[in-house]
Order: sequence, then C-alpha cells, then structure tokens
Amino acid sequence: MPGADKETELSERIEAFLSELKRCGSGAGSLRGSAETARETTSLLRRITAQARWSNAGDLMEIIRKEGRRMTAGQPSETTVGNMVRRVLKIIREEYARSRGSTEEADQQESLHKLLTSGGSSEDNFRQHFTHLKANVIEAINELLTELEGTTDNISMQALEHIHSNEVIMTIGRSRTVEAFLKDAARKRKFHVIVAECAPFCQGHEMATSLSKEDIETTVIPDAAIFAVMSRVNKVIIGTQTVLANGGLRAVNGTHTLALAAKHHSTPLIVCAPMFKLSPQFPNEEDTFHKFVSPHEVLPFTEGEILSKVNAHCPVFDYVPPELITLFISNIGGNAPSYIYRLMSELYHPEDHEL
Amino acid sequence: MAGKAGRQSRPRKADKDEEEKPLQAVLVADSFNRRFFPITKDQPRALLPLANVSMIDYTLEFLTSTGVQETFVFCCWMASKIKEHLQKSKWCRPTSPNVVHVITSDLYRSLGDVLRDVDAKALVRSDFLLVYGDVVSNIDVSQALQEHKQRRSMDKNVSVMTMIFKESPPGHKTRCEDDDIIVAMDGKSKRILHYQRAQALKKLHFPMVRCLEVGSDEFEIRFDLLDCHISICSPQVAELFTDNFDYQTKNDFVRGLLVNEEILGNQIHMHVTRDGYGARVSNLLMYDTVSSDTIRRWIYPITPEANFADQEGQSCTHSRHNVYREPGVSLGHGSQMEENVLIGRNTVIGANCTISNTVIGANCVIGDNVTLDRAYIWNRVHIADNVKVKQSVICDNVEVKHGVVLSEQCVLAYNVVVGPDITLPEGTVLSMHHPDEEDDEDEDEFLSDDNDVGYSKDKTKQKVFNPAEVGSEGKGYRWKSSSLDDTEEDELAECIWGEICLMILMEPESEPEPEGSHDLGSHPASPELDDVKVFQNEVHGTLQRGLDENISCDNLVLEINSLKYAYNISLKEVMQILMRVVLEFPFQQQGAQISTAQYSSHLLPLLKKWAPVFKNYVKRPQDQLDCLASMEEVFLECETHWAALVKVLMSMYQLEILEEEGIMHWFNQGSTTDKSQQLRRNQGLLKFIKWLQEAEESSEGDE
Repeated sequence: MPGADKETELSERIEAFLSELKRCGSGAGSLRGSAETARETTSLLRRITAQARWSNAGDLMEIIRKEGRRMTAGQPSETTVGNMVRRVLKIIREEYARSRGSTEEADQQESLHKLLTSGGSSEDNFRQHFTHLKANVIEAINELLTELEGTTDNISMQALEHIHSNEVIMTIGRSRTVEAFLKDAARKRKFHVIVAECAPFCQGHEMATSLSKEDIETTVIPDAAIFAVMSRVNKVIIGTQTVLANGGLRAVNGTHTLALAAKHHSTPLIVCAPMFKLSPQFPNEEDTFHKFVSPHEVLPFTEGEILSKVNAHCPVFDYVPPELITLFISNIGGNAPSYIYRLMSELYHPEDHEL
Repeated sequence: MAGKAGRQSRPRKADKDEEEKPLQAVLVADSFNRRFFPITKDQPRALLPLANVSMIDYTLEFLTSTGVQETFVFCCWMASKIKEHLQKSKWCRPTSPNVVHVITSDLYRSLGDVLRDVDAKALVRSDFLLVYGDVVSNIDVSQALQEHKQRRSMDKNVSVMTMIFKESPPGHKTRCEDDDIIVAMDGKSKRILHYQRAQALKKLHFPMVRCLEVGSDEFEIRFDLLDCHISICSPQVAELFTDNFDYQTKNDFVRGLLVNEEILGNQIHMHVTRDGYGARVSNLLMYDTVSSDTIRRWIYPITPEANFADQEGQSCTHSRHNVYREPGVSLGHGSQMEENVLIGRNTVIGANCTISNTVIGANCVIGDNVTLDRAYIWNRVHIADNVKVKQSVICDNVEVKHGVVLSEQCVLAYNVVVGPDITLPEGTVLSMHHPDEEDDEDEDEFLSDDNDVGYSKDKTKQKVFNPAEVGSEGKGYRWKSSSLDDTEEDELAECIWGEICLMILMEPESEPEPEGSHDLGSHPASPELDDVKVFQNEVHGTLQRGLDENISCDNLVLEINSLKYAYNISLKEVMQILMRVVLEFPFQQQGAQISTAQYSSHLLPLLKKWAPVFKNYVKRPQDQLDCLASMEEVFLECETHWAALVKVLMSMYQLEILEEEGIMHWFNQGSTTDKSQQLRRNQGLLKFIKWLQEAEESSEGDE
C-alpha cells in the first residue's frame, strides 16, 4: 500500500529531524542558523500537510499540533520550531476561512461581544471539507518559505538607513543576520566595528574574521571591556536568539551586560531579528528559558581534582528586558519594543500560543 | 597461538565502496566480570539505571549520534531481559536510524568469544565501533573514524584498531584507579607503541628498543589518559581474535598485538579527544562519578531532561542548581533539594528533608527528616523517617525503616529490608542472596556474570537473617564480598566500589601500614616484585639447579645471560646480583642461623665451583670494585659473619677472580657509613690486607 509507505517515510523524516534537533548545538546556540531550522521546519510541515491523512482543516491542525509539540519538546530552547508551527496553523485557519467565504481577517479585531458569542464552537467550524484546501494551504506555506528565504536580505537592505559613515558600531558574538547587515552597509560606507568576543564560546572571533575579510575595520575586545569602550560607540547592533512576547530578548550570554552599558551611555541598541524569531513566550516561563550546556568551556574537563570540589554551570542565554532596547529591525521594517505585541497578534492566532 | 599467520591475507571484499557502507557497531552488553555482584545477580549491568535511564540506552544513544546505522548487541547474562528492554525501547522502532540486532548466547565467556562469533558469523563488513554496554559518552568519533580510514588506505590495512582516549590528568575523579593506563605513543603518527595498565605498579618498564626501532624522532609517554573503552576496529580485529584463541580481553589483544608487531605487522593507533566525554561504568565508584557528571551536564546533549531514550512520562524539567524533576513529584514542607538532584516521577518526599547530589528513581516514598547525600536510589524504594544516607546505592524495592544510617559506600541490593534504628558501617553490602550460594559456584573458572543460571531455590539451605546485620525487622544477608577473603590476583578488579574503597575497607582490618603499601594487600606474592627482584630469584634458581644437576659453568653463564635480557638488567646489576646470590646461598640452603664456620665451609667450595662464572663477568678493574661493593653490602647486613669475609676475599683472590689492586683500592676507598668503617677495622681483614701488601712488596722485591 503506497499510502502506508509514505507515512513511514514521513515519520522517519520527522524522527531524523527530531534527533538532529536534539543533538544540534552542543556549543552555544546552534551549529546551523535558526533561519535554516525555520526553513526545515516549514518544509517538514509542508510535507506533513501533503502526505498525512486528513479530510478537513480540523484534522490537519490536530496533526500539526501533535507533531509540533514533539518537535518543540525535542529542543525547547529552539523557539523557531514552535513559531513556524504556529505560523502554519494560522495559515490553515486563514485558508479555511477563505474557503468558507468568510473573511476572518476582517473581523480579526477581538471584541467582548464576539468572544461571548463565538467562543468554544470555533473548532467545530473546521470540520467542513473543501477539496482544494490542501492545495491552498501548501501554496500558502510555499509563500511562507519564500518569505523565510528572503528575510536576511530584507533586513540587510535596511542597513544604509541605520549605519552612517565613520560610525563606531559595537556587536557581540556572532549573528548571521548582523553579519549580513554590516557587510551590506560596508559596500557603501566606511565604519568601524568593535566585536565583543562573547566568552566562553568566543564566536566573536569568527565574526571578526569574517568581517575583516570584507575590509571592515574590526576590533575584538574581551567582554570585560564592553563598558570601557562603550563611550566611543555610536550604535550597538546585535542579533538575538528569540524575541519574547514582551519585547525582551533571549540572546547569547553577555548581551545583558552590553545592553546595560549601552543604556548607561545612552547609546542606541538595535536588534536585528527576523520575524520568525518572534515567540509568544514570556520570560517568566522558567523551565525552558535557560539552556545549560556542558561546563567544559568554563572549566575544562582536564582540570583534574578541582572538578570534584566545585559545581560549574555554563548557561547559554541572557534575558534582556525591553526597556534596554531602542529598535527592532525585522524583515518587515523597524519597530519599537512596545509594538511587538501587535506583530504577535498579526502573526499568530491567540489560540495557538499554547501548542 | 597456533595458526597465527593463517588468514591474515583473506581477501577483503571491494574496498572501494567502503565509504558507502553503513557504519556498524558491536556492543557487548556483558561485562564478563562480577564487579557489580550482588546487584547484577538480579539485573544485568547494562540495564542498571544511571540517572534513571538504563546504561545501555546511553551507549546506544552515543552510537546513534555518531552515525552508527547498524548495531549488534551481544548479550549473555540475563540476555532475555536485555532483549526485552531493547524491544520496548525506541531503538527497535521502525523509524530508528540505528538498526539494533540482538544476538544472545550463553557461551560467551569473554570479549574474545564475542569477537570470534562476530568473525564466525561474518557480521561486520567494514570498520566498526566496539563498545561495552556500560559506556557513557558523547564523543563525536567521526574525526577519529576518518583518520582511521585514512591510515588504512595509506598503509595497506596495517593499522587494525584506533583506541579512543580522553585527556584527564591523574587525580581526576572520573579516572578510576584500576583503570589507570600508561601509553607510549609515536608523537606524529599517533601509533601506540606500548600499552600497560598501571594498576598500582610502582615501577614500570618501557621497552625502549621497540620505541626506538620505530624510527620516529619523537614519542610520548602519557599517563594523563582515560581509556573510554571505545575503539574503532577493522574486520581484521575479529579475525585476529579467531586466530589467537587465547585472547580473552581487549587488554590481551592490545598487548599481544604490540608484542608481536614485527611478526604480524599490525599496528594500533590512538585518538585523544579533548571536548567529548567518555567513560565506562566499571565499578560503583565510577557509577557514582558518571552519574554526577550526567547530572552536572558534562555529557550534554545527553542530559536527564533531554529524554533521549524517548520513554513515556519521563520528561524532566531542569531548574537552577541542576535540580531535575519528573512529573508527579511531591515535596514536603521544608524539604530542600540543594543541588544536583534528579527525582523520578511520582516520587513522594516528606517534610524537612535535605537532598543533595542524589538520584531518586520513580515511585519512591521518602519520609520526613531524611538526609540524602550522594545517594543513588532506584525505583519503588521506601525510606522511612529520620534516615541518613551517604554515598550509597539502594536498588529497587528496598525498604529502609526509620532511624537507619547508611555510611559511605553501602549497597542495598534488590528487595532488602533494613532497620529499624541500625547504623550500617562503611562498605556494607546487603543482598537477598546468601553469600554461600556464591561459593558453590565459585569453581567456575571464568569471571562472567552468567554462572548461576542453574541456581535453584531448593538447593539453598534455609538461612536466618542476622538482626545484628540488618536490624530487627530486616531481611537480607551481608554480602561477603569475595575481595576480602580471596587471595587471587585479580582481587582488586573484583571489588564493587573499585580500588579506593578497598583501601578504606582494609584499613580497619589490617594493622596500620605505611602509605602506599595497601597494594601489597593480602597477596605478597608475585605482582609486586619488580624485575630486579625476579631476576635475583631466577639467578638463584639457576644456580641451585646447576648445583643439583651438575650443570657446567658455561651453560650457567648462558642461562644467566638470557635472563639478563629477559628482565632487561644491566651488566653491573648482573654482577652485583650474582655476588649477592652466591653469598646468600648458604643461608638459603642451611637456614639463616648457621655459624660462621659452617657458612664459610659451605661457601668456599661453591666459590671454587662457580669461579668460571665469576670470571666471565668480572673482567675490568671496575667490575672488581662493583663486585666488592656488593660483597660489602651483603656482609654489612649480617654482622655476625664478618669473619667469613676474609676467607671469601682470600679464596676469590686465590681463584684469581679478584686482584690485589682491586682489593686495595676497595679497602682504601673512603667509606661512607660507620658500619663499613667498622668492617674495615675488622681484625681478620686488616691481617689479610697486610698480608696482601707484604706479598706485593715481596713480589716487587723479587723483581
């Protein structure tokens, strides 16, 4: 039976993706960029849509939610996966609504009256069968994929508006988005980049090497020197791992220090974050917020006797509160942290916040 | 080692497409020793929980994450349990990227048997990983694998094995004393030249010849390595095990291969990893260490909350100070989980408990005011109020009644009941198995876990629990660990907690010994003897035999010479030892209490008989001095026989072994100690010297 074949193949793919997620990033963050993870998740979801058995939108959403839960559990710190699952769920909702002829986009505005009248029965509505729903959903997911492909370009296109000649820019660690952003600006302007090395993983070194190859004047400083150097800096441009629902960041260790130093010197702090990093998570959800990796980088295993006497921890992420952030640059333009809630409601359906 | 050269050149199928072949692994899910007895009497070692996950799952996860696509699990002891476990686990699901085959047989007695079977069944097609079922690791072996393949393609399959080591300096907690190794390697090619277990040896010899022969200009001798017990083997390894049926362990194999390197032309290489983690849970001390390393996240991404074994309901949450909780944990008022704690699902903990560095399994009930430190509590354990546990292992279904105190390194095996109000001393091992059951089966020559399959209940006599050992309501027997009354050589390897524990255990029993003498332990026989000592014994034996069988001096010389090479003794040492052996010969034969007259009457004929032997070794003036110094040394040890010294000197002078210049030189030499001064003032000696001087003068006068 070819259907069964397809299904085992599908679940094999999901398993492979899961185990890769679990294993990825023994160091800081991920071995591959979160953009890639987002793309892979989306294409996997597209495959699920195409190959799984479902007859109506409700079934499909159930399947995607189930797989989404498994995928997010695989690597809770990688929020991109969950975000993409939510985006796809939103797409299904919209396509379903369009097929029914109603325009959910029009009455997206929540009102007390609407909540009272329509609450509870929304799932039942997805039971209707539409023949071309599948094609429509896949088409919409394809659009999402195209959007994902272009995010980095879209962000770096805005570089010239933010970086001026002879400015001193500070950044921390290595973010692919920031890297592309700076390189784009360097094609037209001359400026100086200071890279904080971001111990203990020191991805800052890679960043500096990559920037200097493009003839950008680059200086690497240890993290301890961030405050001392900050007075000379015109702008701080950083990447992030996740943008939280309150407009705060979950970014690589050391970012909070950097943000505080920038605040002290009233240096603008710009965060380059594509929209797929926007997560409906709030910073108080303690369990999955932190990610502790092997303490090897902090205290090498070869240290010997001292290891039995101390506890070494190696957290990967910092929380940066929204007050310290000046501007978000995403693929759809620049936004203030206070506007994040609005983007959130545009991207995700409120019922999908909890998978 | 018959038929060694037999099948070396067996044609190997199409080497070209080796890259496309899936990576295979051989997992040996049996330890072939009884280190974990009595725990492993009820459960095979590979299934013992480490941080609430069976050890074999760690090993399989490691193999899968390094890209192994096909694993052969060899089980012997309690094979059905392992098989059942694997069938239920995620490894046997159709979606698993790593296909697991379970191969069971009761006939495996050692690693050698397993590999011979691998060869017989032709299971491996290309390079494979060889691991034990109790290895916990996150090492990425792909680099080592690549190097291995490269070496093999460059050197026509000369390198058969790459061993993986982890750097960890002496004193590191993950190093276990009885696994200490010393490795000599070629600095450039990473080829192993010499491999030796240090195991409490104080003096080690390195065959420099072998090192120098290699022709490399740099080689390293390393003591800072931890054997991860992970090796990349080529199919030849299995063949070599078949050819050499006396190879039992990997140690045998490595040593055998290195010793016979010239003959077989096979080499072993090594790979040292820096960032990965790899260790084998070879005893409970290692169990303790590896558990705590897991909880402290050294093996990231294999962590308790990752739920890599993908079992239902095992999702953990990880919070500050490495506290892990599975769902359904309830913690009483005032109880504190300080740090490095893992608590299994549905476990109930009472009020005012203090828990640190501890792993608690599922469905346990723990009372009030309990203190747990470095405790490893498995599933369904009941612990009543006011219990204190320090660094102990408590297996499934154990009941600890109130007021019990477990000191360090206690083990409560399955279903034991302890208490109430009893303090178990350090190192107590309690089990439901009576130790006498064990003795019945002890005749078994091989140290495998698998030898009491035929154990039947009716055979055992009804034994009573001793309330002094387990408390008034207790159930269980004190496990007489074979390590304490056994004088076998592998005693150290038998102890459940490893060597360190043995030291602790032995201290109260034996009289206080100076530091380091623990390894002499209860077997003062051979293992401590260094080569010089052995050589001396051998020389004595040779001379004795020479005397008994009337062997000619030429042959004696020949024998001594060959011994000299065998034990790598310098010429000077040979002479000194020879002298000493001869001088002590009468004592050995007649007992130490003989009088001086008897001594010399015995010795002089011997000297005369063996004069050619001496002459062979004593040639240069320097040799004479060495000889005399050794003689002096011997006589300094037995003051009563000083009178005999003159007679010995006299006869050696007459036999023309020693010359007068030599003797005079020795006599006039500034002596260092008071005693040797005294020796030189000995009446007889002075007379002899005077006589010598006169003889010299007179001979000069003659001219």
